Amino acid sequence: MKLLMIDDDTGLCELLSEYLTAQGYTVECVHDGEQGLKKALEHEYALILLDVMLPKLDGFEVLKQLRQKKLTPVIMLTAKGEDFDRIFGLELGADDYIPKPFNHRELLARVKAITRRIEHIASLGNTSSNKLTVNNIIINLAAREAYVDNNELSLTGTEYEVLALLVKNAGEVVSKEQISEEVLGRRLASFDRSIDMHVSNIRKKIAEYNSSERIKTMRGTGYVFIRGE
Amino acid sequence: MSLSAESKNTGLAWLKHPKDFLFFKIFVWFWLTVIGTITALVFLSNIATNQVSTEELRGPMKKNLEYTAKSIERSAIKHKKTAAEILNHPRLAKRKLLYLNSDQAENSLTSRLPADDVDLNILNFTKTMSPQVIFTETYQAFGPVKVNLPEGTFYLYEIDESHPAPFLIRLKLMPIWLKTTIALLASLTLSFIFSRNLIAPINHLKQAAIKLSKGDLTARANINENRRDELGILGRDFNSMASQIEQLVTAQKRLLADISHELRSPLTRLKMATGLAQMQASDANQTYLERIEKEANQLDKMIADVLQVSRLEAKSQTLSLHKQSMQVIINHVLNDAQFEAKQCNKTLQVEGELNLDIYCDESLIASALENVLRNAIKYAEHTITIKLALTETINIEINDDGPGVEPANLTRLCEPFFRQSDARDRTSGGTGLGLAIAKNAITAHAGNLTLHNQKQSGLSVKIVLPIKKQQ
Repeated sequence: MKLLMIDDDTGLCELLSEYLTAQGYTVECVHDGEQGLKKALEHEYALILLDVMLPKLDGFEVLKQLRQKKLTPVIMLTAKGEDFDRIFGLELGADDYIPKPFNHRELLARVKAITRRIEHIASLGNTSSNKLTVNNIIINLAAREAYVDNNELSLTGTEYEVLALLVKNAGEVVSKEQISEEVLGRRLASFDRSIDMHVSNIRKKIAEYNSSERIKTMRGTGYVFIRGE
Repeated sequence: MSLSAESKNTGLAWLKHPKDFLFFKIFVWFWLTVIGTITALVFLSNIATNQVSTEELRGPMKKNLEYTAKSIERSAIKHKKTAAEILNHPRLAKRKLLYLNSDQAENSLTSRLPADDVDLNILNFTKTMSPQVIFTETYQAFGPVKVNLPEGTFYLYEIDESHPAPFLIRLKLMPIWLKTTIALLASLTLSFIFSRNLIAPINHLKQAAIKLSKGDLTARANINENRRDELGILGRDFNSMASQIEQLVTAQKRLLADISHELRSPLTRLKMATGLAQMQASDANQTYLERIEKEANQLDKMIADVLQVSRLEAKSQTLSLHKQSMQVIINHVLNDAQFEAKQCNKTLQVEGELNLDIYCDESLIASALENVLRNAIKYAEHTITIKLALTETINIEINDDGPGVEPANLTRLCEPFFRQSDARDRTSGGTGLGLAIAKNAITAHAGNLTLHNQKQSGLSVKIVLPIKKQQ
């Protein structure tokens, strides 16, 4: 599985690619934003590890321009404590973030959580046209696509997973902890707002086609996808 | 600054630029006040008992009057006219009002009827005097000049009704209460301006000094740039001193933040390399690698704490405010603390609750409480008490039954890396930044964190937070 790492810390890139290679991934490294964006657009990667502080084009700009064309999963490497970076990254459509300096096990867990879905599709192949329909929303589990009133939603991998999880459990409250563990492959840190950010992105994208509010917030607990009118 | 300081030393420089010297100002103002007081006193002592003021009549006016008197006498003798006839003669009557005063009031005559408010009787007391200018409230009179007529002896006065009394005379003629009030007000105003002028810059300096000592490094004395006396110089020197301090402190804090930030990249690589080594190392070496990882994590935590404190201190941290139940935040923190306390064989007691929703940065509030609690658990002997109370503010009190803190160190406890005694070990896992983070996090929410020693023993941390219901 091919990963792209965009980080100007060459030392870290070397160590990380050695580590991930040992885990069975292929890693390509670029050290500035411009080249990174070019590579990300030209080739297909299973995942992009994107640093925020980059020469030429910063991480946010790379993500913004990438998202206009592609939904390749992106994990942002943010500086610890910079909450704004984290939230801004998620808003721009990053799938997850990992604060630097990170622990190698933590990084591997996140990478696995994101890439596992791709393996999942690969294993499914074109076996069945497994579809979920609730109200006006259709989830095509095989193709990993979601439709609102027959319009395809352009969701990132994480957003798709969150929506699919909510629709699968339509009418029931799904806790944020559950969403975090199932979708991001990690325990939800206390007062972590990343799930809220993803849900807010999904709502905005649904609202482009249909204004009725489908996902309800249960404050303090989680979210419900409302069944029926 | 140095230029003006030099000029001060050259002896009598104050004679050249008196305005630049406080000495001169005090001197002049004092002098003015004294003069003002004396004037007021003279003024008060000069109050006439009647409503009339007189001055010796001199010059052409006197001659004129004497000439008029002579011609009246002449007319009476030569033309055998009565005094009334003479006075009513158009040539005389056309001129100013003439008044012939007789010893018998009923015999007194005027050339025409005076205005209603003209009281001629008040001139009686001047009859024995040489010719005078007599000022009254409503008119001026010139006289008396003796006129000997067949009907008897008269005293001639010329009355000028139109001419108002000169300003000074009018002042003199004012009633006593008005004079006293004016004198009082004048001296009051003078003294007020004097003291204000002197005290205002001192007050500005005082306020700036108080603010500065409370830690507001942006505080400056509001001193007029053009003021060149001692106070002006003092004010500007104070301000440049404050700027210097601010610069130094900011530079020091920025250095700390910059170093911490720069340390992160090598630390990330260190962690990564440790991970790689762990994959290949023998069991014997695993323990060392685990130790390296643990120390790297500790370093990581310290750097994160330093950065958090400097961000909070520099107020560059954007609070992400959300509506959150206070009790949810507290319960969350308490869960971890209970566990921690149990491991140390200490008990955690909670009194009261805080069932309300406020807008706050929940992770910051939680980290503040966490840090205070962790500190309390560390130093408590047996029990830690948490009191929650809701008044117009949110009040949280966390007490331990440990040894407490030396009173002199109470305020320093919230400084980064301050430790009470060198004997305290660093193995307990603290970074020395816990209370600094807590204090700054609470301050960022416009609240207040204070430390006290309890009567019995142990430290008491009081947190007061305003209730913020709107974003």
